[in-house]
Amino acid sequence: MANQLGKRYLCEKCGTEVLCNKPGNGEIECCDGAMKIKEAKALPSSD
Amino acid sequence: MNTVNFVSIPASIAPDQEILVFGDRRLTYAQLNALVGRLSSAFKTLGLKHRDVIAALDTNSDSYIAAYYAAAKAGLTWLPLNYRAKDAELEYMINTAGAKVLLAGDRYLNLVARLAPKLKTAKVVAWGKGNAGMPRLEDLVKAAAVDETEAEVEDEDVSVLMYTSGTTSLPKGVMLRFRDFTAYVTANIEMADGGERGVALVCVPFYHIAGTSAMMTNLWTGRRMVVMPQFDPKSWLQLVQREKVTHAFVVPTMMKQLLDEPSFAQTDFSHLTNLAYGGAAMPIQTIRRAIQAFPKKVGFVNAYGQTETTSSLTVLGPDDHRIDGDPKTVELKLRRLNSIGRPLPDVEVAVRDDDGKLLGPSQVGEILIRTPRIMKGYAGREDDSKLPEGWRATGDLGWVDEDGYVFFAGRKDDMIIRGGENIAPAEVETVLMSHPAIDEAAVIGVPSVEWGQTIKAFVVKRPGHNVTAADLSEFCRTRLASFKRPEEIAFIEALPKNPLGKILRKELRDKGDTPQP
Repeated sequence: MANQLGKRYLCEKCGTEVLCNKPGNGEIECCDGAMKIKEAKALPSSD
Repeated sequence: MNTVNFVSIPASIAPDQEILVFGDRRLTYAQLNALVGRLSSAFKTLGLKHRDVIAALDTNSDSYIAAYYAAAKAGLTWLPLNYRAKDAELEYMINTAGAKVLLAGDRYLNLVARLAPKLKTAKVVAWGKGNAGMPRLEDLVKAAAVDETEAEVEDEDVSVLMYTSGTTSLPKGVMLRFRDFTAYVTANIEMADGGERGVALVCVPFYHIAGTSAMMTNLWTGRRMVVMPQFDPKSWLQLVQREKVTHAFVVPTMMKQLLDEPSFAQTDFSHLTNLAYGGAAMPIQTIRRAIQAFPKKVGFVNAYGQTETTSSLTVLGPDDHRIDGDPKTVELKLRRLNSIGRPLPDVEVAVRDDDGKLLGPSQVGEILIRTPRIMKGYAGREDDSKLPEGWRATGDLGWVDEDGYVFFAGRKDDMIIRGGENIAPAEVETVLMSHPAIDEAAVIGVPSVEWGQTIKAFVVKRPGHNVTAADLSEFCRTRLASFKRPEEIAFIEALPKNPLGKILRKELRDKGDTPQP
């Protein structure tokens, strides 16, 4: 799936996290594999 | 990453979104971003370079926010000064930080004139009209082009040097890195996508961590930020209504002032969904009153954190503030209303005893935390709170219940030891404040030959209520273990507090005997 704006991507192999600030059609890879989307938990905002 | 991206990235996604409101001024992301760029150039014309310190002395404003981000863009360290601090404290903070520039707001010109001869490295720049002969930031900005560069910040570079309120000693300079803020914001807050994210009213000072983190989280997530120069209850209520505010944060003292404000009853809260509080322990009566007084759909959030941990650590959410259900659930929820909630996803909490042994559920000890956003350290002094494997000793006492809710029981330094028994002041204070005639209470340990320390309570009566020390003593007798009962109870007009509402126990300890009624 194409990279999505504002999503965090996680490499399960090396632990790198990448944040997408401009989306495109590509699919991000790290350590020879696709990076997985890391879902942010819904939280009550304290700020 | 450089924190200026909290503005520049959303500005590239939603340039025309209105993001900042201050009085009659309203700025879009693109306008704010351009202002940040020009301010960054202006800072460079003052000779400021990567890692130099720039100090700021003024109340909250839109230009305060722009100046912070401009400092970040240029790779500078921002020193937000407490405008209520005394001359000697300001001199100490500015000189020990080695600030090269001091931005001074118009209302502080007299103070700054007194201070200027004592400043070792800081050159004073007017942040408003200024006095004759002073360089003015406004003139520098007018002449400046938008800075297109962004400082490449490194892992250990400090973005904000924040002096903590210092309830016990000289203020301590907490060094928070660009990466500490990045870790907090990106781990807990969704990035702006141009969609509707509500409106936040910010009334806590930007020299406080709650104010600083608000100017990062709201900009990052695309929540329009309405900034108050300083809190006052009447204007706060007017702004909630006029700006259709959805989110706000107050300290306990402000919550009480809002509830006491006559125009509260006429205020339209129909957009308000999220009212967070923190900064100091919330008296249980005040929050219960607030739950009753605000419309049902307002969700309350209690946030606990420290400057040293780059803002919030635990959060008690809206569901925990809805006191409903069967009697057993109501009882549980009322008990949990005293809690500071559960850890955020990037925070681990543990509790240990004086020997360093980890404690189980419901046992009182020192709260330890681990998170990727613990400060770099204190400027120019040792940090003895660092523990192995990334843990930090908070200096706060508390316990964790079976369901992971954390309870705060006061500062470790405030712990009273009477005849070898440890007594957390909060436990005694909670009982005293549950008396219908008592508004507020604080207890301290006073030296005793027989016991080491005994307990002295300072209480503030509710207006129109009468109670004697003997009544309160009897009230405590049925609710507290004998060694936890105050030996002495003094009635005072008001508790001494710092501007955020934290009780200044040192002043209570310095007080002599107070006459009984």
